[in-house]
Amino acid sequence: MGNDVTCEQLREIGAELALGVLPGRQRAGAVEHLDRCADCREYIEQLTLVGDGLLGLLPGSEPPAGFETRVARRLHQAAAHDDRSRLHGRGLLPRKGFRSRARMRLAAAAAALALAFGFGGWTVGTVLSNEAAAPSRPAEVGAGMLHAQLTTVGHGRGPVGEIYLHRGPPTWVYMSVDLADAGNMYGGKISCVLVHKDGSTVRVGTFTLHHGYGYWGAPASVNPTTLSGARLTSADGTVLATAHFGAG
Amino acid sequence: MRVIFRGRLAIRQPGRTVYPGMQRFRFPVGRLPDEALLSGLATGDPELAATFVRRFQHTVFGVAIAVLGDPQLAEDVSQQTFERAWRHAQIYDSRRGSVTTWLTAIAHNLAIDVARARRPVPVAPEDLDTLLDVVTDTATPEQLALADEASAALRSAVARLPREQGRALVMAGIYGMTGQQIADVEQIPLGTAKTRIRTAMGKLRSTLVSPKRGDHG
Repeated sequence: MGNDVTCEQLREIGAELALGVLPGRQRAGAVEHLDRCADCREYIEQLTLVGDGLLGLLPGSEPPAGFETRVARRLHQAAAHDDRSRLHGRGLLPRKGFRSRARMRLAAAAAALALAFGFGGWTVGTVLSNEAAAPSRPAEVGAGMLHAQLTTVGHGRGPVGEIYLHRGPPTWVYMSVDLADAGNMYGGKISCVLVHKDGSTVRVGTFTLHHGYGYWGAPASVNPTTLSGARLTSADGTVLATAHFGAG
Repeated sequence: MRVIFRGRLAIRQPGRTVYPGMQRFRFPVGRLPDEALLSGLATGDPELAATFVRRFQHTVFGVAIAVLGDPQLAEDVSQQTFERAWRHAQIYDSRRGSVTTWLTAIAHNLAIDVARARRPVPVAPEDLDTLLDVVTDTATPEQLALADEASAALRSAVARLPREQGRALVMAGIYGMTGQQIADVEQIPLGTAKTRIRTAMGKLRSTLVSPKRGDHG
């Protein structure tokens, strides 16, 4: 199923989509359809409620003794990792941090969630997020992906985020931005502008930064092979950060 | 971890810990609303985190053990669920569903990932029938106490499904099996498997009298 899923076709596969068991290619077409069809979004939302409700029928079960303590230890270790990685970001420790990976996973998940929540609930959202953020596939950069670091303009303060462009089809853009790492606590709308090799540009979406931090993702109608990079611009057109795609 | 709450956004601030939202609560943390506890989890406050885990571990582990059937794997998935909740607390949106529903979905997806990695077909036939019976049987007193009308209606609707549709529903909805996997297990054509999923879901959808998200207890 390609990019032209009809409402009738969507109703055929909607249950599988809502339950998160629709094969990837069909899912991509369905998601694209939902992006432009409010009726089908509502339909899927209702089916997602059913899926959530089904899980709610599962009986609870007491975990093994000591579980709470082990979770606490795990959270403590994760927080310690994050703190250490923050030091990496400031150049106080060698940079190859957990935080950036974690943030990317979070960003990819959140971007997918943000999109998914336009039409559905947790199930669809987390299923989509898993595609980008499953533990077994953490922030891979392979033949199907373009990746670049976002860097601030002019100050040479280093990376302030990452952009991933999944070749698709459909092509998807995910990005995570943390301008606070460069001391910029900008808040407000920013635009993601993709730059072609011939210098022309196309704005593919806007999202909001809070205190310099934000994440976003969306399908993009672009040919990935023609792209050279990306820019982040504020509402007044100021370029906040740029990225240059290397070999994918 | 030093964090300041501002609305739903947790903001790290070096040197001090301020919980403006939390300061308004004048009763034990065990009585905090789920959302407040989730926010507390994000702060790294040990007491709030422990309370959060204590409140939801029964539900989270229940989902994981139902999908995986292995206590050790289920515990690992449950731990991952709480870690993910901690990391993602800032993007939780109560308009989309309850904290319980959110956590359940996280645990479910993690469990399915593990199940898929372990074996091609994530369920043995006898496990499937057992789980279908559990889902459709009369709820325990505890479940009855927690369940709302929609949940009870849904349970009844699942129980009324023809057995083959109920099996397809459980395989897809709980074990995360694709139509093709269901077709293989049931030895039926792919189209039949898809039809069973679709028909079952359609019947359950019609039971949603008042589609209030995430209130299934």
